Amino acid sequence: MKNKYEEHNSTYLNCVHCGKCLPVCPSYSIGLNEFFSPRGRVRLVLTDNADKLPLRASKVAESMSACLLCGRCVKICPNDVKIDELVIDEKIKLNELAVRAFSIDKFALKALRNKRKVLLKSALKIANIPVIEKLAGRYAPNPEGKPFIADSDLIFNADAAAMQAPSGNHPALRAPLLERREVIGESIDTSLENPRSLLLKKSGVIRQSADEDCKNIFTAGYFGGCVFNNIYPQISADTVTSLTKNGIEVFVPKTQGCCGLPFISSGDVKSFRELALNNARAFKDKNLDYIVTSCASCSYSINKLYPLYFDANGEGYAEVRQFSEKLLNIWSFFKELEKKGVKIKTGKLKKETEAVFHIPCHLSNMEGFKPSSANENLIGEAGFIADKITGLELKPLKYNYCCGNGGMFNIRHYDLSKEITRRKFEEIKEASPQEILTSCSGCIFSLKDQKGILKKNESLKVSHLINVYAESLKE
Amino acid sequence: MEAAVEYLSNYMDKKLINEFEMLLGKGRVLSETEELLCYSYDATSKDFMPDAVVFPLNAEEISKIVKLCLKYNTPVVGRGSGSGFSGGSLPLKGGVVVSFTKMNRILQLDEENMFVTVEPGIINADLKSYLSEKGYFYPPDPASYEFSTIGGNVAECSGGPAAVKYGVTKDYVAVLEVITGEGEIIDTGSKTVKNVSGYNLTQLFTGSEGTLGLFSKITLKILSKPEANSLILVSFDDINNGFNAAISLLKLRDRPSMLEFMDKSSIESVKGYFKSDIIKIDGNFLFIVEADGSREEVDKSIGEYEKILKEFSPIFLFVSGKDEDKKVIMDARKAISPSLRKYGDLKINNDIAVPINKIPGMLSFLEETSRKYDIPIINFGHFGDGNIHVNIMLDKNNAEMVRKGESAKYDILKKTVELGGSLSGEHGIGLEKKEFMKLKYGDYYMNVLKNIKKAFDPQNIINPGKIF
Repeated sequence: MKNKYEEHNSTYLNCVHCGKCLPVCPSYSIGLNEFFSPRGRVRLVLTDNADKLPLRASKVAESMSACLLCGRCVKICPNDVKIDELVIDEKIKLNELAVRAFSIDKFALKALRNKRKVLLKSALKIANIPVIEKLAGRYAPNPEGKPFIADSDLIFNADAAAMQAPSGNHPALRAPLLERREVIGESIDTSLENPRSLLLKKSGVIRQSADEDCKNIFTAGYFGGCVFNNIYPQISADTVTSLTKNGIEVFVPKTQGCCGLPFISSGDVKSFRELALNNARAFKDKNLDYIVTSCASCSYSINKLYPLYFDANGEGYAEVRQFSEKLLNIWSFFKELEKKGVKIKTGKLKKETEAVFHIPCHLSNMEGFKPSSANENLIGEAGFIADKITGLELKPLKYNYCCGNGGMFNIRHYDLSKEITRRKFEEIKEASPQEILTSCSGCIFSLKDQKGILKKNESLKVSHLINVYAESLKE
Repeated sequence: MEAAVEYLSNYMDKKLINEFEMLLGKGRVLSETEELLCYSYDATSKDFMPDAVVFPLNAEEISKIVKLCLKYNTPVVGRGSGSGFSGGSLPLKGGVVVSFTKMNRILQLDEENMFVTVEPGIINADLKSYLSEKGYFYPPDPASYEFSTIGGNVAECSGGPAAVKYGVTKDYVAVLEVITGEGEIIDTGSKTVKNVSGYNLTQLFTGSEGTLGLFSKITLKILSKPEANSLILVSFDDINNGFNAAISLLKLRDRPSMLEFMDKSSIESVKGYFKSDIIKIDGNFLFIVEADGSREEVDKSIGEYEKILKEFSPIFLFVSGKDEDKKVIMDARKAISPSLRKYGDLKINNDIAVPINKIPGMLSFLEETSRKYDIPIINFGHFGDGNIHVNIMLDKNNAEMVRKGESAKYDILKKTVELGGSLSGEHGIGLEKKEFMKLKYGDYYMNVLKNIKKAFDPQNIINPGKIF
């Protein structure tokens, strides 16, 4: 695998400035100003690297910081220019020059770096400080529950919905658990009550009865990510429920933390590496068949970016690469299970729902994926799970625009971000769904922060598709 | 010769920038180096820095911009998406780039007369999809239609695969609102098919490469949307068989709506690059044929085409009306460009057009030229209008090779003129082919062109240095 340290990203030299990337770029689409376009960014970096013109770092940073790292330009580029990586490299360079444009991020990011105790809410608040009056805590969403990840490693399986197991590479992770306690659900065996069971009860995972024949076929590690752990823990709970109901044993290591994307998108490669290594080690040597995340941006960070920023001969590369290669986004994982002959359960919604699925920019299908149903045609691999939910009808979105979040972009350029979100809502409105579904933490943030965008106080419910799937499996 | 005009270039008067800011507001004027850099290029390999970029919203603003430029004697260059292949939107002599990207509205859909009026900055594909929803169709489809603007398409008179049945941009432009080099707003033409009242300025402006004025409103003829289409991919070992087969299709009353070809060189290039389970890229002459219309018309035409093509012993023939198959076929066509990269990192891209009966002659000349200079020349194009995309592939760092490439380009353009063809089918002359105009036209003719420009732009500030 190619690596930053082995080969400098020189793909930008292939740019023939054809302009194909312009209409797909969310940051260009707002002002229609090429200074904020992929092609413009390539030209800025090219000129800067060739030292052709004296360019001011602060001005270059302005253009780079407005890049959402959505990767749409990379996907459409006929010459395979890796624009996202190019922008990241430039940001790293600018970060080293301590360009002010990114200094706001630093305060916020410091709070995030605190490994497991991710103080996301504080981080978001801190990020807002310079503009706090204007923003009035708008994007410091309140957590919808207690953090999902506990003080100790967790195991969830088909026999008992949740079990706490010894951490480390313990044979107990493989062996059937001896103490089968039903700690979740309505019938808690109080005689076995211990401090753990309360904690596990709070995690909200739905019990799977032990008489099913599909138990514990594979063991998967679950990578939550900050948002699905801290702000929307129900998404983590529903992911785990959906997995255990399909006979997957789920291991949730306590030491996992932020995926690092906010850091690398601010040019802080040092913290990014620390977090990557921390996460890789959290899942290392646990005899896991797979590692799964239900956040598209986390999978972009881990699958795509992790290996690029480690020295192939240096410390941590092998661990990080192994972790990176093992991690699948939730939809790819279900497709993979199907390939392995696992019959994925079908659920039924109590009430029929017409919804749209917003395809996150960072959601990518496995290589060689060929859609085999109408829903898969519409939204890719996620369509496979939509097919399993009776009563869910997906309506098409005309353009599949970006939601405008872009992680740190939303914090740095809230007004621009909102403009992009507005455009997203126009196409959503045209489809007139009852509910908006997606599968990325950033998208959920921006789509929930919709107040004032849709007129007449129309407020649409925004959920993760996995919420709906877990709901449909309840019966 | 260039007119002896001294421009303000490179040290634009701060006063002019201030005047622009007063006229448009700061948000619609760019003047910082880093911003200007992002307006210094198009899809050619040349670049020129503008001194300012302005974003007007209507004809009156454009008129005022031009008048200010007259006052300060500064060049004005229109720009859409900057996706041209001839340097049409490059500020060769610095000055002001007028970006039309914010003028991207659809002003009126006239369903009774079948015309649509748009602002020049609208993306071709956006217009197409708007019309398609309403059951209408704007055929011109340059390869860049997903990102190039209608204003740019009209300025360069863009064409595409649909030209074989539907013609090119000029066949659809009915009325233009233009701001001349004197800042005057004029309206050409009318929404009638028949119109003989003075010179046909609409047609003169179409393909004028932005040298006569700036468009502010464009009225285009539209058609009813064809309900369906199907594709055939067919290849021949024998070039003459392929050629004759294609000619036979053109003679039909129901012509194909697309007749794209790949010659031996591009077939070779794509062969190793593009893999598919359903189609085979092989042979020495390959065509992608499309029929459109109602479902019955399409099925009838496709049957007819298939029958004719089979008479010329093709080595491979695949027909489909299914979307997924059509996508594979078009992907094979789209694979040509990226597949070229293996031949070199510098591409001299020519879009010559020759009379259709000269295509085989031109292709064998191209093969000879490639051998003569020992450089790869890869060709493909639109058979129905004799438009051949000739790609001379070079190694940027090999000066000797680049020199050979330039000689090859000269030979090819000379041959094109000899065969009665055109130096540029759809990209325009711009900067890229200026020096070759004399291959085709004498002094008198060139003077006529210059005088026409002078009539609209006496101070030579509108896109100076292009065409001649």
